[in-house]
Amino acid sequence: MAAVKGDDLDQLVPLFERYHGPLFNYLTRLTNDRETSEDLTQTVFERILKYRSSYQPTQPFKAWVYQMARNVHADYWQRKEKLRASDVEEVERTGGLRGAAFSQMRVSSHHDDLHEALALLPTPQREILVLNRFQGFGYEEIGKLLGCTAEAARVKAHRALQALRKIYFAN
Amino acid sequence: MKTPELSACHEMEALLPAYAERSLPAAEAEHVAAHLATCPSCQLQVTQLRALTDDLDAALPEVPRTALRANFMAMLEQQKSLLQPQAPAVAPPAPPEAKVVSMWPAALANNWMRIAASIVLIAAGVFLGRQLPWGNRANDGLAATTADASSRNSLNEALNAGRNRVSASDRIKLVSNSAKETEPGDPTVQVLLNTLNFDPSPNVRLAACEALYRLRDDQRVREGLVNSLAIQTDPNVQITLIDMVVSMRVRRAVPQLERLSKRADALPVVRAQAEAGIGKLI
Repeated sequence: MAAVKGDDLDQLVPLFERYHGPLFNYLTRLTNDRETSEDLTQTVFERILKYRSSYQPTQPFKAWVYQMARNVHADYWQRKEKLRASDVEEVERTGGLRGAAFSQMRVSSHHDDLHEALALLPTPQREILVLNRFQGFGYEEIGKLLGCTAEAARVKAHRALQALRKIYFAN
Repeated sequence: MKTPELSACHEMEALLPAYAERSLPAAEAEHVAAHLATCPSCQLQVTQLRALTDDLDAALPEVPRTALRANFMAMLEQQKSLLQPQAPAVAPPAPPEAKVVSMWPAALANNWMRIAASIVLIAAGVFLGRQLPWGNRANDGLAATTADASSRNSLNEALNAGRNRVSASDRIKLVSNSAKETEPGDPTVQVLLNTLNFDPSPNVRLAACEALYRLRDDQRVREGLVNSLAIQTDPNVQITLIDMVVSMRVRRAVPQLERLSKRADALPVVRAQAEAGIGKLI
Protein backbone atom coordinates (compact mmCIF):
# COMPACT_ATOMS: atom_id res chain seq x y z
CA MET A 1 0.00 0.00 0.00
CA ALA A 2 2.93 2.28 0.66
CA ALA A 3 3.86 1.87 -3.02
CA VAL A 4 0.32 2.72 -4.07
CA LYS A 5 0.51 5.81 -1.92
CA GLY A 6 3.60 6.76 -3.93
CA ASP A 7 1.43 6.69 -7.08
CA ASP A 8 2.58 3.25 -8.23
CA LEU A 9 -1.01 2.24 -8.87
CA ASP A 10 -0.15 -1.18 -10.29
CA GLN A 11 0.71 -2.25 -6.76
CA LEU A 12 -2.99 -2.09 -5.94
CA VAL A 13 -3.64 -5.16 -8.11
CA PRO A 14 -2.24 -7.72 -5.64
CA LEU A 15 -4.16 -5.98 -2.85
CA PHE A 16 -7.30 -6.19 -4.93
CA GLU A 17 -6.70 -9.89 -5.58
CA ARG A 18 -6.23 -10.54 -1.91
CA TYR A 19 -9.06 -8.46 -0.48
CA HIS A 20 -11.82 -8.11 -3.04
CA GLY A 21 -13.26 -11.58 -2.32
CA PRO A 22 -13.42 -11.14 1.47
CA LEU A 23 -14.71 -7.57 1.11
CA PHE A 24 -17.41 -8.64 -1.31
CA ASN A 25 -18.36 -11.39 1.11
CA TYR A 26 -18.49 -9.01 4.04
CA LEU A 27 -20.63 -6.50 2.13
CA THR A 28 -22.91 -9.21 0.77
CA ARG A 29 -23.61 -10.45 4.28
CA LEU A 30 -24.34 -6.89 5.39
CA THR A 31 -26.58 -5.93 2.51
CA ASN A 32 -28.01 -9.34 1.51
CA ASP A 33 -27.68 -8.16 -2.05
CA ARG A 34 -24.96 -9.37 -4.39
CA GLU A 35 -25.37 -6.70 -7.01
CA THR A 36 -25.21 -3.86 -4.51
CA SER A 37 -22.18 -5.48 -2.90
CA GLU A 38 -20.35 -5.58 -6.19
CA ASP A 39 -20.94 -1.87 -6.59
CA LEU A 40 -19.93 -1.20 -3.01
CA THR A 41 -16.75 -3.29 -3.33
CA GLN A 42 -15.84 -1.27 -6.39
CA THR A 43 -16.51 1.91 -4.45
CA VAL A 44 -14.18 0.73 -1.67
CA PHE A 45 -11.31 0.38 -4.14
CA GLU A 46 -12.16 3.70 -5.75
CA ARG A 47 -11.89 5.31 -2.33
CA ILE A 48 -8.63 3.52 -1.60
CA LEU A 49 -7.21 5.20 -4.68
CA LYS A 50 -8.78 8.52 -3.94
CA TYR A 51 -7.61 8.67 -0.35
CA ARG A 52 -4.32 6.82 -0.80
CA SER A 53 -2.38 9.83 0.44
CA SER A 54 -4.13 9.59 3.82
CA TYR A 55 -2.93 6.04 4.40
CA GLN A 56 -0.55 5.73 7.35
CA PRO A 57 2.07 3.03 6.69
CA THR A 58 2.13 2.25 10.42
CA GLN A 59 -1.47 1.08 10.44
CA PRO A 60 -2.36 -2.38 9.10
CA PHE A 61 -3.84 -2.24 5.62
CA LYS A 62 -6.53 -4.74 6.57
CA ALA A 63 -7.88 -2.50 9.34
CA TRP A 64 -7.78 0.53 7.06
CA VAL A 65 -9.59 -1.16 4.20
CA TYR A 66 -12.32 -2.62 6.43
CA GLN A 67 -12.85 0.76 8.01
CA MET A 68 -13.32 2.07 4.49
CA ALA A 69 -15.76 -0.73 3.67
CA ARG A 70 -17.77 0.03 6.81
CA ASN A 71 -18.01 3.68 5.81
CA VAL A 72 -19.03 2.80 2.26
CA HIS A 73 -21.74 0.56 3.65
CA ALA A 74 -22.91 3.25 6.10
CA ASP A 75 -23.10 5.81 3.27
CA TYR A 76 -25.10 3.39 1.16
CA TRP A 77 -27.47 2.82 4.06
CA GLN A 78 -27.97 6.54 4.60
CA ARG A 79 -28.65 7.12 0.92
CA LYS A 80 -31.22 4.36 0.98
CA GLU A 81 -32.92 5.77 4.05
CA LYS A 82 -33.00 9.23 2.51
CA LEU A 83 -34.63 7.84 -0.62
CA ARG A 84 -37.23 6.11 1.47
CA ALA A 85 -37.92 9.22 3.52
CA SER A 86 -38.14 11.61 0.57
CA ASP A 87 -41.54 12.69 -0.65
CA VAL A 88 -43.30 9.66 -2.07
CA GLU A 89 -44.46 10.10 -5.58
CA GLU A 90 -46.58 7.45 -7.19
CA VAL A 91 -43.78 6.17 -9.39
CA GLU A 92 -41.32 6.00 -6.55
CA ARG A 93 -43.80 4.12 -4.46
CA THR A 94 -44.32 1.39 -7.03
CA GLY A 95 -40.57 1.32 -7.51
CA GLY A 96 -40.09 0.66 -3.81
CA LEU A 97 -42.70 -2.05 -3.82
CA ARG A 98 -41.07 -3.68 -6.77
CA GLY A 99 -37.87 -3.68 -4.80
CA ALA A 100 -39.66 -5.26 -1.86
CA ALA A 101 -41.09 -7.94 -4.10
CA PHE A 102 -37.66 -8.62 -5.51
CA SER A 103 -35.96 -8.98 -2.17
CA GLN A 104 -38.79 -11.18 -0.96
CA MET A 105 -38.28 -13.36 -4.01
CA ARG A 106 -34.58 -13.51 -3.34
CA VAL A 107 -35.11 -14.64 0.22
CA SER A 108 -37.72 -17.23 -0.68
CA SER A 109 -35.63 -18.67 -3.47
CA HIS A 110 -32.64 -18.85 -1.19
CA HIS A 111 -32.75 -22.20 0.50
CA ASP A 112 -29.83 -21.65 2.74
CA ASP A 113 -31.26 -21.67 6.27
CA LEU A 114 -28.10 -20.33 7.84
CA HIS A 115 -27.98 -17.29 5.61
CA GLU A 116 -31.66 -16.66 6.12
CA ALA A 117 -31.13 -16.76 9.86
CA LEU A 118 -28.15 -14.43 9.52
CA ALA A 119 -30.21 -12.04 7.44
CA LEU A 120 -32.76 -11.84 10.26
CA LEU A 121 -30.18 -10.64 12.78
CA PRO A 122 -29.89 -6.88 13.38
CA THR A 123 -27.06 -5.49 11.26
CA PRO A 124 -24.59 -4.76 14.11
CA GLN A 125 -24.88 -8.32 15.39
CA ARG A 126 -24.65 -9.75 11.90
CA GLU A 127 -21.59 -7.64 11.18
CA ILE A 128 -19.75 -8.83 14.25
CA LEU A 129 -20.44 -12.49 13.47
CA VAL A 130 -19.43 -12.06 9.85
CA LEU A 131 -16.17 -10.39 10.85
CA ASN A 132 -15.47 -13.02 13.47
CA ARG A 133 -16.55 -16.14 11.60
CA PHE A 134 -16.16 -15.37 7.91
CA GLN A 135 -13.44 -12.75 7.76
CA GLY A 136 -11.16 -14.28 10.36
CA PHE A 137 -11.07 -11.20 12.58
CA GLY A 138 -9.88 -11.68 16.15
CA TYR A 139 -11.68 -9.89 18.99
CA GLU A 140 -8.78 -7.47 19.22
CA GLU A 141 -9.20 -6.44 15.57
CA ILE A 142 -12.98 -6.25 15.86
CA GLY A 143 -12.62 -4.04 18.91
CA LYS A 144 -10.36 -1.66 17.00
CA LEU A 145 -12.70 -1.56 14.04
CA LEU A 146 -15.84 -0.96 16.11
CA GLY A 147 -14.15 1.31 18.62
CA CYS A 148 -14.53 -0.87 21.70
CA THR A 149 -12.31 -3.12 23.79
CA ALA A 150 -11.48 -6.67 22.77
CA GLU A 151 -13.40 -7.95 25.77
CA ALA A 152 -16.49 -5.96 24.79
CA ALA A 153 -16.15 -7.32 21.25
CA ARG A 154 -16.00 -10.85 22.63
CA VAL A 155 -19.14 -10.33 24.73
CA LYS A 156 -20.96 -8.81 21.75
CA ALA A 157 -19.90 -11.68 19.49
CA HIS A 158 -21.17 -14.22 22.01
CA ARG A 159 -24.47 -12.42 22.38
CA ALA A 160 -24.80 -12.32 18.61
CA LEU A 161 -24.07 -16.03 18.42
CA GLN A 162 -26.78 -16.74 21.00
CA ALA A 163 -29.22 -14.54 19.08
CA LEU A 164 -28.41 -16.39 15.88
CA ARG A 165 -28.81 -19.72 17.63
CA LYS A 166 -32.31 -18.76 18.75
CA ILE A 167 -33.32 -17.83 15.20
CA TYR A 168 -31.59 -20.78 13.61
CA PHE A 169 -33.18 -23.36 15.91
CA ALA A 170 -36.49 -21.55 16.26
CA ASN A 171 -38.53 -24.41 14.86
CA MET B 1 -37.77 -24.45 43.66
CA LYS B 2 -37.69 -23.21 40.13
CA THR B 3 -36.43 -19.67 40.43
CA PRO B 4 -32.78 -20.26 41.37
CA GLU B 5 -32.57 -22.88 38.63
CA LEU B 6 -33.86 -20.44 36.03
CA SER B 7 -31.58 -17.61 37.08
CA ALA B 8 -28.65 -20.06 36.97
CA CYS B 9 -29.60 -20.88 33.38
CA HIS B 10 -29.87 -17.19 32.61
CA GLU B 11 -26.39 -16.67 33.98
CA MET B 12 -25.15 -19.60 31.90
CA GLU B 13 -26.46 -18.13 28.66
CA ALA B 14 -23.65 -15.58 28.55
CA LEU B 15 -21.02 -18.20 29.31
CA LEU B 16 -22.18 -20.99 27.04
CA PRO B 17 -20.81 -19.61 23.74
CA ALA B 18 -17.35 -19.42 25.27
CA TYR B 19 -17.84 -22.84 26.84
CA ALA B 20 -18.94 -24.29 23.51
CA GLU B 21 -15.81 -22.98 21.81
CA ARG B 22 -13.73 -24.14 24.79
CA SER B 23 -12.30 -20.71 25.52
CA LEU B 24 -13.53 -20.41 29.13
CA PRO B 25 -10.96 -20.29 31.94
CA ALA B 26 -10.75 -23.66 33.70
CA ALA B 27 -12.53 -22.57 36.88
CA GLU B 28 -15.52 -21.18 35.03
CA ALA B 29 -15.59 -24.14 32.68
CA GLU B 30 -15.89 -26.46 35.67
CA HIS B 31 -18.70 -24.36 37.08
CA VAL B 32 -20.55 -24.58 33.75
CA ALA B 33 -19.90 -28.31 33.44
CA ALA B 34 -21.37 -28.86 36.90
CA HIS B 35 -24.52 -27.00 35.92
CA LEU B 36 -24.76 -28.78 32.57
CA ALA B 37 -24.78 -32.18 34.27
CA THR B 38 -28.12 -31.31 35.84
CA CYS B 39 -29.71 -29.12 33.15
CA PRO B 40 -30.90 -30.66 29.88
CA SER B 41 -31.97 -27.30 28.39
CA CYS B 42 -28.48 -25.84 28.79
CA GLN B 43 -27.05 -29.06 27.37
CA LEU B 44 -29.23 -28.57 24.34
CA GLN B 45 -27.94 -25.02 24.03
CA VAL B 46 -24.35 -26.22 23.94
CA THR B 47 -25.18 -28.83 21.30
CA GLN B 48 -26.94 -26.18 19.22
CA LEU B 49 -24.11 -23.70 19.61
CA ARG B 50 -21.58 -26.26 18.45
CA ALA B 51 -23.74 -27.27 15.48
CA LEU B 52 -24.20 -23.62 14.59
CA THR B 53 -20.46 -22.95 14.81
CA ASP B 54 -19.78 -25.92 12.57
CA ASP B 55 -22.34 -24.68 10.06
CA LEU B 56 -20.83 -21.21 10.14
CA ASP B 57 -17.38 -22.64 9.54
CA ALA B 58 -18.69 -24.77 6.69
CA ALA B 59 -20.55 -21.89 5.01
CA LEU B 60 -19.21 -21.20 1.55
CA PRO B 61 -18.10 -17.67 0.80
CA GLU B 62 -20.04 -15.63 -1.72
CA VAL B 63 -17.94 -15.29 -4.86
CA PRO B 64 -18.17 -12.10 -6.90
CA ARG B 65 -18.63 -12.20 -10.66
CA THR B 66 -15.61 -11.65 -12.83
CA ALA B 67 -17.16 -8.35 -13.89
CA LEU B 68 -16.00 -6.95 -10.56
CA ARG B 69 -12.38 -7.55 -11.51
CA ALA B 70 -12.93 -6.13 -14.98
CA ASN B 71 -14.50 -3.00 -13.51
CA PHE B 72 -11.67 -2.62 -11.08
CA MET B 73 -9.05 -2.95 -13.82
CA ALA B 74 -10.87 -0.38 -15.95
CA MET B 75 -11.04 2.00 -13.00
CA LEU B 76 -7.35 1.48 -12.29
CA GLU B 77 -6.40 2.17 -15.90
CA GLN B 78 -8.46 5.31 -15.85
CA GLN B 79 -6.81 6.51 -12.66
CA LYS B 80 -3.41 5.73 -14.10
CA SER B 81 -4.10 7.71 -17.23
CA LEU B 82 -5.24 10.62 -15.07
CA LEU B 83 -1.96 10.39 -13.25
CA GLN B 84 0.16 10.60 -16.41
CA PRO B 85 0.17 14.33 -17.13
CA GLN B 86 0.85 15.19 -13.48
CA ALA B 87 3.87 12.93 -13.02
CA PRO B 88 5.58 12.34 -16.35
CA ALA B 89 8.99 11.96 -14.72
CA VAL B 90 7.89 9.07 -12.50
CA ALA B 91 6.14 7.21 -15.31
CA PRO B 92 7.93 4.00 -16.29
CA PRO B 93 8.38 4.04 -20.09
CA ALA B 94 6.66 1.22 -21.97
CA PRO B 95 3.61 -0.35 -20.33
CA PRO B 96 1.62 2.71 -19.27
CA GLU B 97 1.97 4.25 -22.70
CA ALA B 98 0.62 1.15 -24.35
CA LYS B 99 -2.25 1.21 -21.90
CA VAL B 100 -2.98 4.86 -22.56
CA VAL B 101 -3.23 4.12 -26.26
CA SER B 102 -5.63 1.31 -25.53
CA MET B 103 -7.98 3.84 -23.96
CA TRP B 104 -8.39 5.74 -27.24
CA PRO B 105 -10.60 3.39 -29.21
CA ALA B 106 -13.04 3.33 -26.31
CA ALA B 107 -13.18 7.13 -26.21
CA LEU B 108 -13.55 7.26 -29.98
CA ALA B 109 -16.31 4.68 -29.93
CA ASN B 110 -17.98 6.74 -27.24
CA ASN B 111 -17.92 9.83 -29.43
CA TRP B 112 -19.34 7.88 -32.33
CA MET B 113 -22.02 6.52 -30.03
CA ARG B 114 -22.89 10.07 -29.04
CA ILE B 115 -23.10 11.22 -32.64
CA ALA B 116 -25.16 8.18 -33.58
CA ALA B 117 -27.45 8.73 -30.60
CA SER B 118 -28.01 12.38 -31.52
CA ILE B 119 -28.85 11.41 -35.10
CA VAL B 120 -31.34 8.86 -33.82
CA LEU B 121 -32.85 11.47 -31.48
CA ILE B 122 -33.24 14.02 -34.27
CA ALA B 123 -34.74 11.42 -36.57
CA ALA B 124 -37.15 10.33 -33.85
CA GLY B 125 -38.09 13.98 -33.26
CA VAL B 126 -38.82 14.55 -36.94
CA PHE B 127 -40.83 11.36 -37.11
CA LEU B 128 -42.87 12.22 -34.01
CA GLY B 129 -43.40 15.75 -35.26
CA ARG B 130 -44.88 14.41 -38.48
CA GLN B 131 -47.08 12.05 -36.53
CA LEU B 132 -48.72 14.64 -34.30
CA PRO B 133 -52.37 15.02 -35.36
CA TRP B 134 -52.27 18.83 -35.33
CA GLY B 135 -49.16 18.83 -37.48
CA ASN B 136 -50.00 19.51 -41.14
CA ARG B 137 -53.58 18.46 -40.97
CA ALA B 138 -54.68 20.53 -43.96
CA ASN B 139 -51.93 19.46 -46.30
CA ASP B 140 -51.01 15.87 -45.73
CA GLY B 141 -53.61 14.61 -43.33
CA LEU B 142 -53.91 11.49 -45.40
CA ALA B 143 -50.17 10.89 -45.40
CA ALA B 144 -50.04 11.35 -41.64
CA THR B 145 -52.77 8.80 -40.98
CA THR B 146 -51.10 6.29 -43.23
CA ALA B 147 -47.80 6.77 -41.46
CA ASP B 148 -49.65 6.47 -38.16
CA ALA B 149 -51.40 3.27 -39.13
CA SER B 150 -48.26 1.74 -40.55
CA SER B 151 -46.33 2.57 -37.39
CA ARG B 152 -48.95 0.82 -35.32
CA ASN B 153 -48.86 -2.16 -37.60
CA SER B 154 -45.11 -2.32 -37.30
CA LEU B 155 -45.40 -2.11 -33.52
CA ASN B 156 -47.80 -5.02 -33.58
CA GLU B 157 -45.63 -7.03 -35.95
CA ALA B 158 -42.45 -6.35 -34.07
CA LEU B 159 -44.01 -7.27 -30.76
CA ASN B 160 -45.82 -10.38 -31.85
CA ALA B 161 -44.30 -12.01 -34.89
CA GLY B 162 -40.80 -10.98 -33.99
CA ARG B 163 -40.87 -11.84 -30.31
CA ASN B 164 -38.13 -14.38 -30.79
CA ARG B 165 -35.94 -12.12 -32.84
CA VAL B 166 -36.40 -8.77 -31.11
CA SER B 167 -34.60 -8.55 -27.77
CA ALA B 168 -36.50 -7.72 -24.59
CA SER B 169 -34.89 -4.30 -24.32
CA ASP B 170 -35.93 -3.46 -27.88
CA ARG B 171 -39.45 -4.58 -27.12
CA ILE B 172 -39.45 -2.31 -24.07
CA LYS B 173 -38.40 0.58 -26.30
CA LEU B 174 -41.16 -0.24 -28.79
CA VAL B 175 -43.75 -0.39 -26.05
CA SER B 176 -42.56 2.78 -24.31
CA ASN B 177 -42.49 4.72 -27.57
CA SER B 178 -45.99 3.68 -28.57
CA ALA B 179 -48.55 6.41 -29.12
CA LYS B 180 -49.12 8.80 -26.24
CA GLU B 181 -52.66 9.58 -27.30
CA THR B 182 -55.38 7.47 -28.75
CA GLU B 183 -58.70 7.82 -30.52
CA PRO B 184 -61.56 5.31 -30.07
CA GLY B 185 -60.82 1.97 -31.69
CA ASP B 186 -57.10 2.55 -31.76
CA PRO B 187 -55.34 -0.82 -32.16
CA THR B 188 -52.43 0.32 -29.94
CA VAL B 189 -54.41 -0.45 -26.80
CA GLN B 190 -55.09 -4.01 -27.93
CA VAL B 191 -51.47 -4.56 -28.91
CA LEU B 192 -50.29 -3.30 -25.52
CA LEU B 193 -52.81 -5.48 -23.70
CA ASN B 194 -51.61 -8.52 -25.64
CA THR B 195 -48.06 -7.64 -24.73
CA LEU B 196 -49.04 -7.26 -21.08
CA ASN B 197 -50.67 -10.68 -21.07
CA PHE B 198 -48.39 -12.73 -23.25
CA ASP B 199 -44.90 -11.28 -23.43
CA PRO B 200 -42.44 -13.69 -21.78
CA SER B 201 -40.34 -10.93 -20.18
CA PRO B 202 -41.72 -9.32 -16.98
CA ASN B 203 -39.81 -6.13 -17.81
CA VAL B 204 -41.58 -5.78 -21.15
CA ARG B 205 -44.87 -6.44 -19.36
CA LEU B 206 -44.05 -3.67 -16.87
CA ALA B 207 -43.29 -1.29 -19.73
CA ALA B 208 -46.64 -2.25 -21.25
CA CYS B 209 -48.30 -1.39 -17.90
CA GLU B 210 -46.76 2.05 -17.97
CA ALA B 211 -47.73 2.64 -21.61
CA LEU B 212 -51.30 1.52 -20.85
CA TYR B 213 -51.46 3.86 -17.87
CA ARG B 214 -50.89 6.74 -20.27
CA LEU B 215 -53.84 5.51 -22.32
CA ARG B 216 -56.05 5.01 -19.25
CA ASP B 217 -58.92 7.08 -20.66
CA ASP B 218 -59.69 4.24 -23.05
CA GLN B 219 -62.37 1.95 -21.57
CA ARG B 220 -60.60 -1.17 -22.84
CA VAL B 221 -57.57 -0.37 -20.68
CA ARG B 222 -59.57 -0.67 -17.43
CA GLU B 223 -61.16 -3.93 -18.52
CA GLY B 224 -57.87 -5.35 -19.81
CA LEU B 225 -56.03 -4.55 -16.58
CA VAL B 226 -58.68 -6.30 -14.49
CA ASN B 227 -58.49 -9.39 -16.68
CA SER B 228 -54.72 -9.36 -16.64
CA LEU B 229 -54.68 -9.43 -12.82
CA ALA B 230 -55.86 -13.03 -13.00
CA ILE B 231 -53.09 -14.13 -15.36
CA GLN B 232 -49.97 -12.43 -14.05
CA THR B 233 -47.63 -14.44 -11.83
CA ASP B 234 -44.62 -12.12 -11.62
CA PRO B 235 -44.81 -10.23 -8.29
CA ASN B 236 -43.58 -6.96 -9.81
CA VAL B 237 -46.22 -6.98 -12.50
CA GLN B 238 -48.84 -8.02 -9.96
CA ILE B 239 -48.01 -5.12 -7.66
CA THR B 240 -47.86 -2.64 -10.51
CA LEU B 241 -51.27 -3.79 -11.76
CA ILE B 242 -52.76 -3.54 -8.27
CA ASP B 243 -51.42 0.00 -7.93
CA MET B 244 -52.81 0.92 -11.33
CA VAL B 245 -56.34 -0.36 -10.76
CA VAL B 246 -56.37 1.35 -7.37
CA SER B 247 -55.16 4.69 -8.67
CA MET B 248 -57.60 4.49 -11.61
CA ARG B 249 -60.31 3.52 -9.13
CA VAL B 250 -61.46 0.49 -11.12
CA ARG B 251 -64.18 -0.90 -8.80
CA ARG B 252 -64.65 -3.94 -11.00
CA ALA B 253 -61.17 -5.10 -9.99
CA VAL B 254 -62.32 -5.89 -6.44
CA PRO B 255 -63.30 -9.56 -7.06
CA GLN B 256 -59.99 -10.17 -8.82
CA LEU B 257 -58.08 -8.51 -5.99
CA GLU B 258 -59.95 -10.67 -3.48
CA ARG B 259 -58.94 -13.77 -5.39
CA LEU B 260 -55.36 -12.57 -5.62
CA SER B 261 -55.20 -11.84 -1.90
CA LYS B 262 -56.09 -15.47 -1.23
CA ARG B 263 -53.89 -17.06 -3.87
CA ALA B 264 -51.47 -19.47 -2.22
CA ASP B 265 -48.82 -19.06 -4.90
CA ALA B 266 -48.69 -15.25 -4.59
CA LEU B 267 -45.96 -13.70 -2.47
CA PRO B 268 -47.07 -12.34 0.92
CA VAL B 269 -46.18 -8.80 -0.15
CA VAL B 270 -48.45 -9.17 -3.20
CA ARG B 271 -51.31 -10.51 -1.11
CA ALA B 272 -50.90 -7.67 1.36
CA GLN B 273 -50.91 -5.15 -1.49
CA ALA B 274 -54.06 -6.69 -2.95
CA GLU B 275 -55.80 -6.46 0.41
CA ALA B 276 -54.73 -2.86 0.87
CA GLY B 277 -56.05 -2.18 -2.65
CA ILE B 278 -59.46 -3.65 -1.81
CA GLY B 279 -59.59 -1.42 1.23
CA LYS B 280 -59.04 1.66 -0.91
CA LEU B 281 -61.52 0.68 -3.61
CA ILE B 282 -64.56 -0.18 -1.47
